[in-house]
Amino acid sequence: MEDRPVPGTIHRDGIDQCQPGERLFKKKRLYKVSLFILVLLLTGLVFSSLASGAPVGNNLGLEGKLGAAIAKAPAGTGAGQIDVNAARGFLGIPGAPKVNPIVAFLWAIWVGWIFTTVGAFGGIMAGVGHMTVFGLGDYAKGFNKNAPELGKVMTDCIRMSNQWLVGLSSGVGTLNFLKAKRLAWPLGLALGFGSLFGGLLIPIVTGGKISFAAYQGWFGIAVFVVGGFLLYETTPKGQAGKKAAKAAAQAFEKSIKEKTEAADQGIKVTKWGVLKIEFSFFGVEFGFNPLVAFAGGMIIAAISSFLGVGGGFLYVPYLTSLVGLPMFVVAGTSALAVLASMVMSIASYLNFTGAAVDWALIGTELIGIFIGSMIGPRTQKYIPDVWLKRLFVVLALYVGLGYFSKGFFGSSWVPM
Amino acid sequence: MDWWTGVDGILIYLYRITGWTMIDYFIGTLLLAMIAVLIGDFTTSLVYRANRSYFRNLNSRLGEMHNSSMVALRIKDKAGYKAVNREANDTFGMLFFGMFGLSASYLWPAFFALAWMQSRFDGIKFPLFINDWTSSYFLTFLVSYLLARFAFSALKPYLPYFKHVMNEREEKPEPAVAAGEKAV
Repeated sequence: MEDRPVPGTIHRDGIDQCQPGERLFKKKRLYKVSLFILVLLLTGLVFSSLASGAPVGNNLGLEGKLGAAIAKAPAGTGAGQIDVNAARGFLGIPGAPKVNPIVAFLWAIWVGWIFTTVGAFGGIMAGVGHMTVFGLGDYAKGFNKNAPELGKVMTDCIRMSNQWLVGLSSGVGTLNFLKAKRLAWPLGLALGFGSLFGGLLIPIVTGGKISFAAYQGWFGIAVFVVGGFLLYETTPKGQAGKKAAKAAAQAFEKSIKEKTEAADQGIKVTKWGVLKIEFSFFGVEFGFNPLVAFAGGMIIAAISSFLGVGGGFLYVPYLTSLVGLPMFVVAGTSALAVLASMVMSIASYLNFTGAAVDWALIGTELIGIFIGSMIGPRTQKYIPDVWLKRLFVVLALYVGLGYFSKGFFGSSWVPM
Repeated sequence: MDWWTGVDGILIYLYRITGWTMIDYFIGTLLLAMIAVLIGDFTTSLVYRANRSYFRNLNSRLGEMHNSSMVALRIKDKAGYKAVNREANDTFGMLFFGMFGLSASYLWPAFFALAWMQSRFDGIKFPLFINDWTSSYFLTFLVSYLLARFAFSALKPYLPYFKHVMNEREEKPEPAVAAGEKAV
């Protein structure tokens, strides 16, 4: 019995053996499928044109790279688009979040309070404010697909806002310690040049190139690191180490019979070299590798410039471990590096990235910081240091996890 | 009329003194910078007074730790040196971050001045009369602010409230400066 061919299949002799009625049915189906595909294509074209939108076409009165990026961004009312008819928000961008000055002020009081109670974590919280609390991060991230250039410019603006706020807040302390004149100038020069280089390099290399998601992910990692240090200090081992050091210091102070009023011996360089510089301070010899000091200054300044936070609290432990100098000399020397990297980084961001700044927002935050800094010393005696640190460890883990996951994996693993 | 419009109406008068545009711009910016310096110094004095004993205690502790570390160095007591240096590091950290409030109180008026200037002069390039160089509002304000700071430092000893604060500070010097002068 001869097999009846199945319509639409290739028969053994290669020819479709459909009957006439089946052929008609096949043609009709073909038309339907073609029509369906055409409708799909047209729908896709319509939606993609709506999604991408025609570009805004002009800078809407905004200068520099921000204005140029806005001109190229799609116009529209959807996410990742510029609604040219909307009210102006952050940096004068139509439709951008308008940061509530009261929220900014209250958040900055919190930041100022943290600076005077825990210290470095205040910079982290300042960054969290700009990115999450004020809604600027999610807004910048919204441009990733449709207007990545605008998203990156906005990321630079957020980074620079962090830098202005935290960097300038360290200004007075830095100048004060420089005025104290306790500066190991050979070390200061090596570290300072490294800091200048790091502060210059990062805005040039990363300006306009970092998406908000990447910045957020790296910021999350930095928060984890700070949280890790705080966590160690709250562990029994960390607490025991601190208590032992304090007891040893007190015992040593008691044992000192004399405190010589020494003449100002200053710092005397005894040996110059590319790989080693030696100097004496109070008759004691110290030495360091200038290349290592340069590299350290550059790396710390680069981290600080990239994230917009940090730096100040990294130099002292670095110098203490590198050279073992007395704290007071380290303080003055690191102050020079902090000042150098801060000034260079801010100048480079302004010059090379063209990042815009919301001056009134920074001004409002500075008011909050100085009010918070007056409250901090008054509440310190009521809250044990170890419990404060435990609170910030929890915050650091939460924020670090959220930012890391949101930045590198697209969505936060914790409610955020 | 909102408050920003009101402030704008007042500040623009600083830029209408002589009638010559460029001269008025530079004079107005300098006067604006002076106002920012004056307000900043006033709020700094408030922060300093509020935190005076806090800074003094930390400062004193820092000086003691530094003295001890110097003695430890001289008598070559490595364990003692490390212990007091670590304590000094912790105290330095608290003092350094504690001063953030002082910085913030110096600088906040300058940022509002910049915000106002941005609303008026953003995008305008001002000629510097040297080699066709131009300046933005930010650069002219920055230079004016630094000049205003120097000028104010010279005038401060003659201004009633600030003279009093200066005398107080001289009797009980600034943190870290005091430690530096006292310790070694």
